[in-house]
Amino acid sequence: MMMNGATEAELLLNCTDMSVLERQKAHLKYHHPGFDPTLAGFLSGPSTINGGEIDGFLGTAGLDLPVIYGETTVEGSCQFGSGNFKKRKFDCVVKTTSEECNEVKKMMMMMNREDEEEEKSKITEQNNESSKSITKMKNKAKKEQNNCSNDSSKVTKESQKTDYIHVRARRGQATDSHSIAERARREKISERMKYLQDLVPGCDKITGKAGMLDEIINYVQSLQRQVEFLSMKLAAVNPRLDLDIDDIIAKEVVSAPMTNLPLPTTVMPSYEMVNAGYPYEMVNSGYLHCNPMQQVATSSDQLSCFNNGEAPLMWDSDVQNLYSNLGV
Amino acid sequence: MQPTSSMKEEFLKKWQTGLQIFRPSIDNTNVTERKKAIKLSADVAMASLRKGTTCWSRALIQKTAAEDNFLVRQMLSGIKAETLINKKLPKKTVCHRKIVRRSKKILLRRSRSASEEAAAKAKKLVKRRTQGLRSVVPGGEFMSNDVLLIQETLDYIVSLQTQVNVMRSIVDAAEAGIER
Repeated sequence: MMMNGATEAELLLNCTDMSVLERQKAHLKYHHPGFDPTLAGFLSGPSTINGGEIDGFLGTAGLDLPVIYGETTVEGSCQFGSGNFKKRKFDCVVKTTSEECNEVKKMMMMMNREDEEEEKSKITEQNNESSKSITKMKNKAKKEQNNCSNDSSKVTKESQKTDYIHVRARRGQATDSHSIAERARREKISERMKYLQDLVPGCDKITGKAGMLDEIINYVQSLQRQVEFLSMKLAAVNPRLDLDIDDIIAKEVVSAPMTNLPLPTTVMPSYEMVNAGYPYEMVNSGYLHCNPMQQVATSSDQLSCFNNGEAPLMWDSDVQNLYSNLGV
Repeated sequence: MQPTSSMKEEFLKKWQTGLQIFRPSIDNTNVTERKKAIKLSADVAMASLRKGTTCWSRALIQKTAAEDNFLVRQMLSGIKAETLINKKLPKKTVCHRKIVRRSKKILLRRSRSASEEAAAKAKKLVKRRTQGLRSVVPGGEFMSNDVLLIQETLDYIVSLQTQVNVMRSIVDAAEAGIER
């Protein structure tokens, strides 16, 4: 996971897959009827403003990280005129890291849908929890007068005129283009690291880039070593390079649906056992013990041993000699 | 994403073609030669699954071609072989470590707060690990940015898993056959 010195709640945000790009999801809050848009009104009752969650954000499924601009329209709020708006600053109220308070100045971006002519405003807020919470208030007003004249493009659905990627800066963070780009890059990296976490066994408990990278390196190295070892074993077992193709292919490895069952799990036990410090020989004998000997639907002569449910003989003396030579 | 059975099939077929190409030259020689042939053909098969779309596959093919050019070309059935083998890889990204270290020391000297030092150490750790990852993944030195590196690692891991699974099942079947 990304460690960028964020507070707890921001980590929470990260965990819930909200990225800079994704947080363009508009959060619609209808104003209270008696809503006082002045600063004083905000300051006085910050926690009472629309205690809503940031809900319904869109998650990115694949690796292509679509740029998402969520927009929802506000009911034509009477407080906001149709034309000009002023930027407003709002003081934050509660934050665990106090030095970031009261410094909020946001860029405001509005994305439009084709049908929209209304102005929008967004107020998002996170409810305070016990000690680890942040209250965010983002209140936007438009800079430009006309929505349509400053359309920025969304990636997927809307019609675009220009090609800007509008991004809302996070609370208390810099808003220049460099840091935003860098933040986007960091989020890409962390997203891919999440995929890696799924791939590499035993990575769920590890947080932090360095530890995970370590695990990944170890895993890749162990896989490469396994390839070496298996090719050596195959060379030893098989004096000719034909691999008993006729026997094996169509019946065993490829077509039989049961091979999908043991195979996905094959890589993992060995890796974990290797990690536990077992020597290679024990690892593989252990694996071979665990390997369920499945029944083959169409068994030929050579393959009938599978039907007996016996584990294959582990080691010829030949192979063992080879192993001592390898120094494994 | 786990290795799918179709991937395994493809890998197996390509591996066999490779082995058949190797066979006349290597039959009945010593174990080391056979092992090398097996591994080589397996690697090329794994890399050619990606058809040159990923950086690591191209780097791997080039590496194996350095060892045994002719056979690799045959394995790749000539179509992509020329482009893949002769393709120039992008420049290696080289850091002059001394210079970088010196400038970092100077920077650190200026601002030495505790939190910054911790952050700097963490960054150093991460950087060292990414360098380690680059050394492990084939063609890692040629990947310019981290995002690409991690993406390639993902793909490489899946392909390696395919390779290991197929090889292991073949070995098991072969051993079982021998035992009888």
